[in-house]
Amino acid sequence: MRRTRIWALVAMALSAAVALTAASAAQPIEAGEAPGVLVSRQLMESRALGIGDLVRLSADPTGGRSRTFRILGAYEPTPDPMRFAQPALEARLHLPDLLALSGNPSDPSASDTVSSINVALVNPADADAFARDVSTRLPGTVARPTSAPDDRAGTFLVIERFHLAIASVTMLGSAVFLLALMMMLVDERSDVVGTLRLIGFTRRRILMQVLAEGTCIAAVGTAFGIGFALIMQGAFNRFFQWRYDTALVFLRITPGVVAQSILLALPLGIAASAIASWTLLRRHPLALVRR
Amino acid sequence: MTQPPIVEARHVSRVFPMAAAPVTALSDVSIRIEAGEYVAVVGPSGCGKSTLLHILGCVDVPTSGDVLVQDRNVGSLSDAERSRLRLREIGFVFQRFFLLPMLTAWENVELPQAEAGVARLDRRRRTAELLEYVGLASRAAHRPSELSGGEMQRVAIARALANRPRLLLADEPTGELDQRTGGHIITLLDRLHEDGTAVVVVTHDVAVAACAHRLLTMRDGQIVEGSS
Ligand SMILES: Nc1ncnc2c1ncn2[C@@H]1O[C@H](COP(=O)(O)OP(=O)(O)O)[C@@H](O)[C@H]1O
Ligand SMILES: [Mg+2]
Repeated sequence: MRRTRIWALVAMALSAAVALTAASAAQPIEAGEAPGVLVSRQLMESRALGIGDLVRLSADPTGGRSRTFRILGAYEPTPDPMRFAQPALEARLHLPDLLALSGNPSDPSASDTVSSINVALVNPADADAFARDVSTRLPGTVARPTSAPDDRAGTFLVIERFHLAIASVTMLGSAVFLLALMMMLVDERSDVVGTLRLIGFTRRRILMQVLAEGTCIAAVGTAFGIGFALIMQGAFNRFFQWRYDTALVFLRITPGVVAQSILLALPLGIAASAIASWTLLRRHPLALVRR
Repeated sequence: MTQPPIVEARHVSRVFPMAAAPVTALSDVSIRIEAGEYVAVVGPSGCGKSTLLHILGCVDVPTSGDVLVQDRNVGSLSDAERSRLRLREIGFVFQRFFLLPMLTAWENVELPQAEAGVARLDRRRRTAELLEYVGLASRAAHRPSELSGGEMQRVAIARALANRPRLLLADEPTGELDQRTGGHIITLLDRLHEDGTAVVVVTHDVAVAACAHRLLTMRDGQIVEGSS
């Protein structure tokens, strides 16, 4: 098995980041011995740091018990939808360095408080089996694949239900609006339909024509809606990624979403035109032209 | 007569069920229209002339009695079959023209032929011939809104003749026209009759009535004179 390199993640609050200062020349440091650290892109940018710079890190907001590190590189933090509104001012340390930095010398056991670690598997499909294995071998630990729903997703379940409710109301409202619009359009054409019936066009023939038109309009409308959503998706994501300086994807039009839209929009559009035209066709042709 | 009548109504009544009280527009009307006949229907307003014409033209169906078009009982036909009959066997001209406003004169005349499945080339020939016949060859590309009342009615007549019906029904075709333009329409109906089409025209116009070979007078939903 490939040796998994575990980086501990220190999520530094803004106050902690303030304690971080670039090493000044006045303090002689054994540069060769400074352990390496990775700094998030956002922290690099906000403090104008560069690779090779020496920095002091401290777990204490006042800057006490600081240690010197050398920046070996920058990384893009994994976007976290729970924390996207906070600037990702973070650094990654090797676990022993982190323990040395955050531990309490007077209480060695207190330093050993890593609450969670992420393990990358060569084959992600093994995650379930691995988690089960860990759970049986280390009773008391909670091991679960990152793909499994975690309790933090509860918020998103609520949001999703909220979205579903908004979507349903929107669909219902627009379907009613569409039907009303079709009724108006069709009503305007009542003279035409009446005349066609008088000439000798059958109901079925006119209904077919209206359905064909309705299908075309619904198809064009659906394509327009999907195209608009795809364009807005890019604009929307770019704006909020800029706004919150994150790689998080806020909006994603998946094939499933597209399929769902088509399955809703096409039948609704066709049904609206069918219902609207039937309100005319069921009437006597003379009643249609007489108004 | 050896030939069957083009259309025949037997003891036809038409009652409109209104909220206040049912209106009897026709009561027990019987009439035969033979091939090539020229019939004018006159009578006071509201006596049932239009209703009779609608029933003869398969636009409406009687409440009781039978209508036979070329020996077929219209009452036993479906709505679609009656539509086919209107399309192919009967031409109808209305007082208010009922042209399709978004189509040109040419397209209005071509439409019933296309619906009847006439081949494109035959359609083109027939449409040109009909517009020529009604004297509107030069107005083929004009929409109804660009035509005068008389011209619109001539387009409507051309359209009614599109599928070579043996019967033309016209409901006050000169009703919305001044005397001179009305005169054109009368001449046209005359010529049509001479060419062998049976014509039934509802009119208030004595000039139109004078051209016809048979005059039917109606009153209160019944034919009081000329029925035979
Ligand atoms: N669709 C209808 N609904 C109710 N009553 C009607 C309808 N059509 C005609 N009528 C009534 O039937 C009678 C005959 O109408 P109509 O045939 O139009 O008369 P005419 O054409 O001789 O003026 C009138 O009293 C009219 O009000
Ligand atoms: Mg009338």
